Amino acid sequence: MRIKVQRDRCTGCRLCLQICTVEHFREMNPKKSALRIEAKFPEPGRYRPFVCTQCGECEKVCPEKAISRAETGAFLVDRGKCNNCGDCIPACPVGVIFQHPDHGFVIICDFCMMCTELGSTGALKKWDRKPRGAEEA
Amino acid sequence: MATSSSSSGTNSASRNGLAGTTLRIDLSTGAIRRMPTDQDLYRRWHGGRGITSKILYDEVPRDADPLGPQNLLIMNAGIMTGCLIPAGAKVEFGGISPLTNGVGDSNMGGHLGPALKHAGYDMVIFEGIAPKPVFLYIDNDTVELRDASAYWGVGSLDSEKRFKHELGEDFEIATIGPAGEHGVAFSCITHDFGRQAGRTGQGAVMGSKKLKAIAVRGNRSIRVHDVDALKQQVVGIVKRTQTHPNMEPWQKYGTAFFIKWSNDNGVMPTYNFQTTHFEHVDGIDGDKLVEKCLITHKACFGCWMNCGKYTRAVVPGKAPVHLEGPEYETGSLCGSNLGMRDIHDVAYVNWMLDNAGMDSMSGGGVLAFAMECFQRGLITEAELEGHTLKWGSVDDAEHFIDMMVHRRGIGDWFAGGTRRAAERIGRGSEKFAMQVKGQEMSGYDGRWAPGMLLSYMTADIGAHHNRSWTITVDMAEGRERVEGRAKIVVYLQHIRPLFDTWCICRLFWGELDITPEEIVESLNHITGWGIDLREALRTSEMIWNLNRCHYLERNRGNGRSFDYPPARSWEDKIPSGPGQGKGLSLEQIEQMLDEYYDARGWDRKGNPSRALLEDLGLGEVADNLARLGLLGEPLPGGIPETRGEKYKPKAF
Amino acid sequence: MLITLRAGGLLREKLKPDLDAYSRRVEAEAGRTLAEILTAIGLDPSLVAFAVKDGKMQRLSYVPSDGDVITLQPPVSGG
Repeated sequence: MRIKVQRDRCTGCRLCLQICTVEHFREMNPKKSALRIEAKFPEPGRYRPFVCTQCGECEKVCPEKAISRAETGAFLVDRGKCNNCGDCIPACPVGVIFQHPDHGFVIICDFCMMCTELGSTGALKKWDRKPRGAEEA
Repeated sequence: MATSSSSSGTNSASRNGLAGTTLRIDLSTGAIRRMPTDQDLYRRWHGGRGITSKILYDEVPRDADPLGPQNLLIMNAGIMTGCLIPAGAKVEFGGISPLTNGVGDSNMGGHLGPALKHAGYDMVIFEGIAPKPVFLYIDNDTVELRDASAYWGVGSLDSEKRFKHELGEDFEIATIGPAGEHGVAFSCITHDFGRQAGRTGQGAVMGSKKLKAIAVRGNRSIRVHDVDALKQQVVGIVKRTQTHPNMEPWQKYGTAFFIKWSNDNGVMPTYNFQTTHFEHVDGIDGDKLVEKCLITHKACFGCWMNCGKYTRAVVPGKAPVHLEGPEYETGSLCGSNLGMRDIHDVAYVNWMLDNAGMDSMSGGGVLAFAMECFQRGLITEAELEGHTLKWGSVDDAEHFIDMMVHRRGIGDWFAGGTRRAAERIGRGSEKFAMQVKGQEMSGYDGRWAPGMLLSYMTADIGAHHNRSWTITVDMAEGRERVEGRAKIVVYLQHIRPLFDTWCICRLFWGELDITPEEIVESLNHITGWGIDLREALRTSEMIWNLNRCHYLERNRGNGRSFDYPPARSWEDKIPSGPGQGKGLSLEQIEQMLDEYYDARGWDRKGNPSRALLEDLGLGEVADNLARLGLLGEPLPGGIPETRGEKYKPKAF
Repeated sequence: MLITLRAGGLLREKLKPDLDAYSRRVEAEAGRTLAEILTAIGLDPSLVAFAVKDGKMQRLSYVPSDGDVITLQPPVSGG
């Protein structure tokens, strides 16, 4: 399962960021979510959502072997093993790994899919495609 | 400059939707005080408009100049803001209005309100006047007043761009423009390149304090009473409404589409409300906006309806501009009301007012009034510095806006709004100064929609539509009859401002069949208060009456004397279009006022009675009115048990 | 011919949906405008701001074809 992005449909509402944090931390805080929205205003005037593409670069660079792949295709962080060193952050080509001062581990999308359920413009959609890297198999 | 910093910004113990801290900033001294947010105050007044009204009543002296140091500017991010509520994005600004000389409040969506709470603050209260231009910088615990001299004189939109560039794209910024700096009475506060707290001149209050901007960033969590129940409820509502028939049109066109409907139904303000039908409406309707100008749809924080239309306007001979809108109100008031025939022209006027920092509703109203004065020869080319001021001319509008912003010549009179301008011009112009209590009318003519006219007449902030909007009720109940309209207006004046009290958007309620009971349920999940809609409506009624009393105390007169619309409303019948020949008589207007005061439990002079105020827990306010001789007489049959009546079938 | 009308809010109550929560199937005479069809089923066309068919805005002068699914948009309650 992956997330399909139709970037021109993003309206910048950040409902995805809100539900992401509520789902994973049971509190309101868009800065703890595992995706991001870029807003370019006043010119040219557009929004761009960025989500995990399951490329696996984070797993490769993690010195603690704290990131591993689940059957769903998601790269999951072992919160016990992760020491929040942040090496994975610059390795992520789309910039969707985050740290937050409240937590001693990095935040990476686990593909719970809540963000795709709440949006109504179709900017983020469930994508019934095999996990990236598994297509050839 | 002044800095305040501490390690514990938020009260992590509170699980009631509040961030925990209130800031009080004396701009005269630069002192920044942090206080725990007063939970009892929120419980009684619910936040937003309620709290700003209460603080203004308690703290601002009755003779204080709205643009002087004793007035306050209160920024309040509401209890539901940023708490997953659909469209729970609002931030409320309140202060005594330079336009109405009563309590002023106005809110805006975007992302600033949630950002303020995520930085750890529920409310910021500004007092005094800074010795030189400053902006408020908030980055979690860091709260500073910083020098804004380099931004003074820069347009609202231009300053936001520069602030974002300088501070970082992740800051949420509110700015004022040159109009606010120069005390133009209908100045607005701008955010997110096109969201405005437009009405009641809060931008002028901000400018009088030499506060150019507010910049906020934060990464704190807000905790609520029952997060699981809230999540389940909100997810249910969002999924249910995704297939609602209104959703797709709403997302696609926003509010601008109703221009044609307004025109077809004879309520379209045209040539300064001279008529209610614009022959060139096809050129300025919402479909033209989407077809010719749209760049992207734009939503406020957490909203899945994205009514915002971010656009580009191109007018020959001028540089292309980016703006949000025009939505319905601006589209009508700066469109047909100014005789603009092309959507690009309407959008360009919208942009000029936005960047100057003027409310584009009052701005459209003031420009239209000036154009009619010019049409009638009451102002001349000599007074306009050699320019004309003709219907439909963007160039003329541009020059006149510049005269108002810089308060040159007669531009200074109009910078005070239509009421003050009419006082200066005289010669019968008061008749078509389309305002009530100093605030310019919204984009609907009330002559063939009596409930709408009554809504304008009685709204606490003057002729604004958001307190009560009844045009579909008027259509259903008879557009030439006034009987029975008052109770519905009273009900709407209680339920609609609740949204401004909770700092959430009103539109998803009316347009997507989300019930008020559902919203109160969300409020309970957030706060744990366990209240019902009846109690919420009583709170709203308490706020309404407090503002009424405050207005009487400041303006020292019987309420009725302030509640009349301009004489065009009853002297002139609608001259053209579907409403041709329609209009109300002064007797009908008097009858509506009588019915309205009866429905509210006020006496026929329009003053609240002691029995009513005590019933609402406002006994001290009754004492204050009594001292001024403005307390209402006891009502012969006592006060009505419930004030206001929900319209059935359901109205919006 | 048969068309499907959809509406929410005040309009939904006037439309009296029978197909699902928002929709009603209506037998209409071919060649009639939407305004005429609405009047025939007792729904005051002045309560409709505009209609949408296949994602495109249509005025009340629109003449529906058999099988059309048309959404009726009520006026906004004040921008």
